[in-house]
Amino acid sequence: MKSATLIFKNQSPRFLLTFLASLSAFSPSQAKDAVPPTFAAVQTILEKNCISCHNYGEKKGDLVLDRGPIKLDDPNELIKLVSGSDPEMPKKGNHLKTAQITILKKWIDAGAPFPEGLVLNDSHAADLDWWSLRPLQKSPLARIAAEDEAWCRNDIDRFIIAKLHEKNLSPSPQADARTLARRLYYDLTGLPPTPAQMQQFLQASATDLDQAFENLVDKLLNSQRYGEHWARHWLDVVRYGDTHGYDKDKLRLNAWPYRDYVIRSFNDDKPYSRFVEEQIAGDVLWPGTPDGVIATGFIAAGPWDYIAHVEVGEGKVDGRVAKNMDRDDMVTATFNTFMSITIQCARCHDHKFDPVSMEDYYRTQAVFAAVDRANRVYDLDPAVQKQQQSLSAKLSSLKSSQSDLQKKISQLKLAHPNLKKIEVRLKELKAIGQDTVKAPEYGFHSHIAKSPRTEKWVQLDLGAPSSLKSIELIGCHDDYADIGPGFGFPKRFRIEVSNDATFKTGTRSITDKSQADYPFPGVLPQVFDIDYKKKLRFIRITATHLAERKNDYIFALAELRVLDHSGKNLALEKTVSSLDSIQAAPRWRKSNLVDDKFPHPQNETAMKELSKLESKRSQILKTVISNKIQQQQAALGEAIKTTEKQLSSLPKGKLVYAAAASFKTQGQFKATTGTPRPIYFLTRGDIRSVGPEMSPGVPPLWDHSPAEFKLANNHTEGDRRATLARYLTDKKNPLTWRSIVNRIWLYHFGRGIVDSPGDFGRMGAPPSHLELLDWLAVDFRDQPSLKALHRKIVTSSTWRQSSANDPRKSSIDSDNQFYWRAQRHKLTAEEMRDSALTASGLMNLKMGGPGFQDFVLEKNQHSPHYEYQKYDPQNPASHRRSIYRFIVRSRTQPFLTTLDCADPSQSVAKRDETTTALQALTLLNNPFMETMAKHFAHRIENQKDPLAAAFQLALNRTPNADERSSLQKYAAHYGWANTCRLILNLNEFTYVD
Amino acid sequence: MSIDLPSQQPGRRAFLASLVGSFPGLALTDLLAQDSAIGVLHRPAKAKRVVQLFMAGAASHVDTFDYKPSLEKYHGKAWDPGEGIELFQSTPGHTLKSPWQFRQHGHCGKHLSEVVAPLGKVVDDIAFVHNIVGKTAVHSQGTLLQTTGFTTPGYPSAGSWISYGLGSMNDNLPTLVVLPDHRGLASNGTKNWSSMFLPAQHQGTVIQPGANPPIADLFPPRNSSFITKKSDQAGLAVLKKLNSQYAAQRPGDSRLTARIRSYELAARMQLSATEAMDVSKEPGYIKDLYGLAAEGPAVNDNKINEKAESEFFGRKCLIARRLLERGVRFIQIWSGNDNGHPRRNWDSHENIERDHGPLALGMSRGAAGLIQDLKQRGMLDDTLILWTTEFGRMPCAQRGVGRDHNPFVFTNWLCGGGIKGGVTAGQSDEWGYKPLDRSHPTEVYDIHATMLHLLGIDHEQLTVRHNSIDRRLTNVFGKVIKDIVA
Repeated sequence: MKSATLIFKNQSPRFLLTFLASLSAFSPSQAKDAVPPTFAAVQTILEKNCISCHNYGEKKGDLVLDRGPIKLDDPNELIKLVSGSDPEMPKKGNHLKTAQITILKKWIDAGAPFPEGLVLNDSHAADLDWWSLRPLQKSPLARIAAEDEAWCRNDIDRFIIAKLHEKNLSPSPQADARTLARRLYYDLTGLPPTPAQMQQFLQASATDLDQAFENLVDKLLNSQRYGEHWARHWLDVVRYGDTHGYDKDKLRLNAWPYRDYVIRSFNDDKPYSRFVEEQIAGDVLWPGTPDGVIATGFIAAGPWDYIAHVEVGEGKVDGRVAKNMDRDDMVTATFNTFMSITIQCARCHDHKFDPVSMEDYYRTQAVFAAVDRANRVYDLDPAVQKQQQSLSAKLSSLKSSQSDLQKKISQLKLAHPNLKKIEVRLKELKAIGQDTVKAPEYGFHSHIAKSPRTEKWVQLDLGAPSSLKSIELIGCHDDYADIGPGFGFPKRFRIEVSNDATFKTGTRSITDKSQADYPFPGVLPQVFDIDYKKKLRFIRITATHLAERKNDYIFALAELRVLDHSGKNLALEKTVSSLDSIQAAPRWRKSNLVDDKFPHPQNETAMKELSKLESKRSQILKTVISNKIQQQQAALGEAIKTTEKQLSSLPKGKLVYAAAASFKTQGQFKATTGTPRPIYFLTRGDIRSVGPEMSPGVPPLWDHSPAEFKLANNHTEGDRRATLARYLTDKKNPLTWRSIVNRIWLYHFGRGIVDSPGDFGRMGAPPSHLELLDWLAVDFRDQPSLKALHRKIVTSSTWRQSSANDPRKSSIDSDNQFYWRAQRHKLTAEEMRDSALTASGLMNLKMGGPGFQDFVLEKNQHSPHYEYQKYDPQNPASHRRSIYRFIVRSRTQPFLTTLDCADPSQSVAKRDETTTALQALTLLNNPFMETMAKHFAHRIENQKDPLAAAFQLALNRTPNADERSSLQKYAAHYGWANTCRLILNLNEFTYVD
Repeated sequence: MSIDLPSQQPGRRAFLASLVGSFPGLALTDLLAQDSAIGVLHRPAKAKRVVQLFMAGAASHVDTFDYKPSLEKYHGKAWDPGEGIELFQSTPGHTLKSPWQFRQHGHCGKHLSEVVAPLGKVVDDIAFVHNIVGKTAVHSQGTLLQTTGFTTPGYPSAGSWISYGLGSMNDNLPTLVVLPDHRGLASNGTKNWSSMFLPAQHQGTVIQPGANPPIADLFPPRNSSFITKKSDQAGLAVLKKLNSQYAAQRPGDSRLTARIRSYELAARMQLSATEAMDVSKEPGYIKDLYGLAAEGPAVNDNKINEKAESEFFGRKCLIARRLLERGVRFIQIWSGNDNGHPRRNWDSHENIERDHGPLALGMSRGAAGLIQDLKQRGMLDDTLILWTTEFGRMPCAQRGVGRDHNPFVFTNWLCGGGIKGGVTAGQSDEWGYKPLDRSHPTEVYDIHATMLHLLGIDHEQLTVRHNSIDRRLTNVFGKVIKDIVA
């Protein structure tokens, strides 16, 4: 057991579990024989030097050394590779020592025995001995000198000043009242104070600055603007957008309820633990609450490949790859957002630096195995929901009976001696028909009906009574549902003529084909002669038995030709009306019926054969399928129709784009209805290299945190997510609490205590003040109120320092990573836009609802174009806070993008800050800014002192003499609009001290 | 050249860049040069500039550059490559020959289809790679793979990496310029030139020749009721004064002075960008060389036609040359837009002849013009041109006269900038269905590695740390294609 002790000391608890499990699997005598006494030594060598590449997941060089049985083509080869003065292996790190090589050699000579069930771990990555993974404990308060007590307003300050002194630094003086107020407004609400608000604060602070400041903190934390501003930070991290991204980049019209949920949660100071749990499994943990469903918008917030899911689907490799990457996005977002750990590295190989194995990764994928991103109802009353569920269940049982019947019919058909042959030949003929030349204008197309026995008509107005010789009907050609020629041509119909447009009087029949099925015509013209001498104006074709499409029924015609005795087509471009029609230009519209564009078969003989055979087939079908079956079929159709009607008459409920296990099928995009897809271990992350199936679980990142979830056999998919949710908010979770506290700190100070807020792993940045971080994290874990955390931070002396430079301190810590001053804040893209709207007086503070679109949407039918440059910035619809903007992925908003706005297709833990010539151009010239300048001017130009008013609105101060002289002179020459344009471009408008 | 740069915290280089105002160029090469990430080449560079020609929608290799006599021989017969085939949209139709004749060109005798014959004049400068394999038959992912090296969004474009690695060669124009198809952006839109986790100044700047203004916000809105040239100029002077005062009161924050400088650069960019876009003084024979139409950008495009396609692509090529002359580092030129109606891209499911004909002729005239023009100006030696597309098209028919996607093999070609001309490296099989040697295909990583190699960069060493991984353009793959390097 000596070697075992050694292992215990160095290995992760997870390793221990596996190792103990492997031991317990042996009988004692077996263990003695199967594990040579030197295996522990072998294990150390392998784990330190080999496993990072030669593991089951990666199989570099097709060599697997992390589990038995070891397969070596040439046992000597391995030793050769690690021996000599310049050995080929290990690729990285030190060469093996002679003693180590000897151990390996002995082991290989013994046949490389390997304990059954044991899996080795890369010893670099597997251990939990890392600052962010150590158990969270409240740090002792920093000890400080007596003279520093006065500076310290709260415990944050104690940690900060202790570190400052350690680095031979000292804090800066407190900023003045005006600066504090302006900074606080931006920090907590993302907006500047109004002149009146500033005045009010300055008055109050004159008597007691501390009290006035604390009152202001409370006031702003209670303002609705607070939630709007902090939601923007959150949405950066969770990659929120209002379109799908990828190809076509279609609109996601129901994403916004999630955005509003985030705002609401911040404003309500929802306990952070609940906020986290809701976003992963709110629908499971708080069933029946709207927020429970809406919150899972988090899972769905990222980009989604419409083509790969809807058009390709899981039946094809590309579709399965897309599904895998879709889950990868969910797993990545969850762990990056809540735990700041880069789990996604373990998709193709064990994490190289952090204790996350490929098994852990695929177990986590299994948590999301039953959900997709789709629209989902969130606000239905439970009774309606119940009714909906029972009707849906009834519908699906009816549909399954229908499909059973269909199967039975297929079998009957199969039993017929000729039918199969006929159908094969029909398929060939249809393939020949593929070369039919057709225009993009297909023809007339009625609405879709659920039952074939629905009457539909289309009619022609010749404009004046005319004498007629014959009428021609020509069928459509559409590959939809593999139908091809004769698409939509009614099975039964009649043709009538009249001089009364309503066909109530003087109606005469040309032909009545409503009593028996009409022989299938394909696209061959069907001619009907007219014997009447009388001149006639209106022709109506009434379909009495519609054509089948795909479990539904329609009436379509490519062309209606009406010939006079000279052979002229009188119908051409005359007026067409109909009971109903699908207008989807260019393919389908009423006018297509008389545009002289119809399919021309290249091989007419084949088409005639097709038409004949189709009729023959119909005849046979009648004999094969008994009346009884037909009646059953009809009854089922009726029942389905009725149930669907009942379902559709229920209140619809509001929709949110969220994680969904049930939704309406869209092409190949089908819901799991709660049955998780099997998730397999994928060697090298390759969808084609399928390993064992994985059960749901998580990376075990603390003691007694099991890798596999302990769930009952009949657990629901929701149980998986609920278990993950509780894992995230477990009090023992070392990452969740550190992660959020650091994020909040970052947004207040412009720099995190850990400067890689999305990565607390070994490749991330080390914390500058670990004790402070842990102290804040423990406090927050025990009282997960974000508002309390904000209050603690902004009321500290640390936060209240001046941002002024000090050359001596700067020479020690130019990055200000020890917080010896405040960081001058550059407005973010949204803050800039919101500030300009505020200064101009146009800002509309309406909250919530669908995002405003500051672009013109073109070609929405197919591939939407988002044309920002065509949008009129005067339009008041867009004069709202930027948080309510409709966020497009494929074409990011150009003005905001130039100003370093977060890209919605990636998680942005911290915004970039650049200064570019394009920013100067956009702030000077963008039509939005030009419009803001104009309205800003309207607002001040009639005031007694326009310049002073403008300065108060934009900068919360009065202009000095120098500014006054320059700007007054400029305004006199070029007017106030130009002057306001300058003010919006001042450094001082962009930076907050 | 590898540096630590977690995306959340721009590293020292980004920090310096933001200090001095990070618009590429900025005449701040000196400051940035102190940082090892910039301007340090791993080896002598052959190329300084890159032009990436991107055929959106997936251009057919078997109808352009990859001649397949078997398709002619078995035309109309059932197509059977002897293995299961999974196509993107359809089931395999009959074997389909190209609607065009192939003829040999140049000393190298390379077969080119009629619709790319204009490139015959420069074919001895081109290296073809016919065994490129993709990872997906989905447009969006295929396009991202070619532009960023990954199939999901979230990674910097090749041009962004090069801008990041090499910096700018000019003061007044962006480092990475994109000339999209004016009819719409291809799959993924601006993701194809995003800087993502690299500092934002390395994202592409879109220039729309013919649009007014060609760069967004280059000038005040034309319909402005109050901004005039005079108010603008006088205003900039006042702004400079006030902003300088503000900066002077806040010493030690160089962002503030950088911002003042960014306004000066903006004014200079207005002049230089306008001048670079102005092709009016280009002589007639040059315009003809690029295939420009007499009507200019207003040429009739109601029905897809070769005259319009030549004008659209040719003008972008001509402007690209002018930008290259003025020190732009990387230019992406797009042929083809999104999958809208009517079709104006290379995704010829319905009809190869109808769409590939005009698009290929327009592309090859413009590209041939660009290559010849660069050559006569002595710039081809250090300008690398890469022709690419998201994947190829199938040797079999889709609905008679179209072709479905083929991610299993397709063609890239490269030219200039240290490329060995007149060679073909890597073959496809007799159908153009998969690589001839299936165990040694070429991947986008190899193309990118070669591109970086010619620019003097070791593709394994240009890395940035992002979410625990030292990311690079070539992921964990890529080898330089020695056979095409001169």
